[in-house]
Amino acid sequence: MSTDDQQLIEGTASRPEADSTLRSERREFFRAAFGAVAVTAAGAGALAIATSASAATIADNDMGNFLLQLEYLGAQYYSYAVTGAGLPAAQLTGVGTAGAATGARQVTFTDPLVAQYAKEIAQDLAGHVAYLRTTLGTDGATAQPAIDLGVTATGAFSKLAAGATIVATGGTFDVYASDENFLLGAFMIEDVLVTAYNGASTTITDKTLLSALLGILSSHAHHAAVIRSLLYAKGVATPALRTNADKISDVRDVLDGTGTDVDQGISPTTVSGNLVSNIVPAGADGLAYGRSSGQVLNVLYLNSAAVSAGGFFTAGLNGAVKTSTAN
Amino acid sequence: MTDTDTPIQVLDAGERRRDERRRFMQLAGGATLAMGLAACGGSSSSSPTPTPTSTGTATPTPTASSTVALDVDYLNFALQLQYLEAQYFAWATTGAGVAASLLTGTGTQGTVTGGAQVTFSTALLGQYAREIAAGELAHLGFLRSATGAAAAAQPALDISSSATGGFTRIARAGGLIGASDTFDPYASELNFLLGAFMIQDVVVSAYRGAIPAITNLLYVNAAADMLATKSYHAAMIRSQLYALGTAARTATDQLSNGRDSFDGVTDIDQGVSGADSTVSNVTPTDSNGIVFGRTTGQALNVLYTNHAAVVGGGFFPNGIISTYFASSDAN
Repeated sequence: MSTDDQQLIEGTASRPEADSTLRSERREFFRAAFGAVAVTAAGAGALAIATSASAATIADNDMGNFLLQLEYLGAQYYSYAVTGAGLPAAQLTGVGTAGAATGARQVTFTDPLVAQYAKEIAQDLAGHVAYLRTTLGTDGATAQPAIDLGVTATGAFSKLAAGATIVATGGTFDVYASDENFLLGAFMIEDVLVTAYNGASTTITDKTLLSALLGILSSHAHHAAVIRSLLYAKGVATPALRTNADKISDVRDVLDGTGTDVDQGISPTTVSGNLVSNIVPAGADGLAYGRSSGQVLNVLYLNSAAVSAGGFFTAGLNGAVKTSTAN
Repeated sequence: MTDTDTPIQVLDAGERRRDERRRFMQLAGGATLAMGLAACGGSSSSSPTPTPTSTGTATPTPTASSTVALDVDYLNFALQLQYLEAQYFAWATTGAGVAASLLTGTGTQGTVTGGAQVTFSTALLGQYAREIAAGELAHLGFLRSATGAAAAAQPALDISSSATGGFTRIARAGGLIGASDTFDPYASELNFLLGAFMIQDVVVSAYRGAIPAITNLLYVNAAADMLATKSYHAAMIRSQLYALGTAARTATDQLSNGRDSFDGVTDIDQGVSGADSTVSNVTPTDSNGIVFGRTTGQALNVLYTNHAAVVGGGFFPNGIISTYFASSDAN
């Protein structure tokens, strides 16, 4: 991806200084730091790292609400795709400016397995919304923000697809038109949710909340594996499914910062003459990647700059964590 | 912040861990090993920040002040489970075990009983299996690096179809096979998937259960990343089994029941069959969509295939080399 390509998605006119708070939760830092700890054992370097790592810079409630905002996006996508309707209105209220999830519709699934997986994931994500809302409390949970799930040329799905050159610039990508398109739409969202929870594991201080969030992290990782392996398997007959997933991954990597490769497609590699799939987006150490909240928002706002709205969230997020990182 | 469903389990875990630690120290005459582990944990214990990590003077005193476990103990627990996973997938995909240089460490090193190459006639399945094998090997290397000189050796592993091995024991307990039959996980693609299913879900649940007790955020983050990877792996296995149809789905339900028979009265394990024919159950969650967790003791109940507090059996004939070596007696 060139610099021009990211301009296709969203302009980067304003680039304020990167917020040190967001930078401190960059998880690639932790990956690098962890290696240092292992090598030096009790070395001085490790001590400095431990100090930094202990500095949780986002309050638990704020991080919980950030994750709730992301869950609204995922839950509504699957809910509409599976049932043609969104979450119950009672599950959308809360602090901040309430918005609507617009532009989604039911998918007519042709592969019954895809339909059964989609229904399961929809139920799990509705459960995540309910859990987080209950945990954050009636006075603390944030309302659903405005969410763009539409398929017009100016919608988030189409812009992301255009940025990935899956469709032409200004073209449309209808994620509800087929099983395959639905899976690519899910791929756009689900992997990002996994990385958001990985990133959150570096800031949550309440152990009970952490335990639950780890359970949700695991849930999203299960979902993402289902989506990615379906695309991989269907990619045998339709190779474009694999390459399109790779292209979406490339765009996400440009959006969330050029310094580190935190995203991966699904196309196989050849090792000792044998094909090996790439369902798990992990590094050579087998550790799945994570993103800071700011990096997550780079992807979902479709903007590599520090902004507070765009992409899937046309009016931004409700809650304290709402700004993407300046990359 | 209120919470609805997890604190009891977490608190129970803390209680059991204290018991387990105390027993270990008494049984192992723990001074030497405790000092060795503490030395490694020193990277965080001597940190200038007031992190609540046990210090190098970790003694087997069964008091409330000893409740904060050394993070390295959890990493070594994870490492012990990792030997099992890495060996199973290495044997299944290559017909050979993990390199000898990756098996050394503290404690009495054991050997692997069983293991064989699986014939993958389904191309995709072979590709998935090789990816998982590589991921598990990477985790093994990572955990050995992270624990450094304190890394515990590979314990004795039974990944065979023997009557006392973990595969056959769980398959019998769940009624997948008869009481005098044996289960060979290398005999077919389906059996390989079922064998992977038996192990992988347990490790996922153990990570979810153990991570909150870790104090150093670096370790928390790395373990969360591994939890994610293992969840991807588990879902690859579970979704393949679901796609194979009714017989394979029923087999997972039976194996899930087998696991549940070991780890306690609460149903914290699930097969892949959905509530009805319109929905799958690839992700084993509660009503909030949250994946289940197990305490170290509960994970060992399953892996030792014993509902009582014991120190070995099943996949680990001589137990694991860990502070948390005993299964739970709460079942």
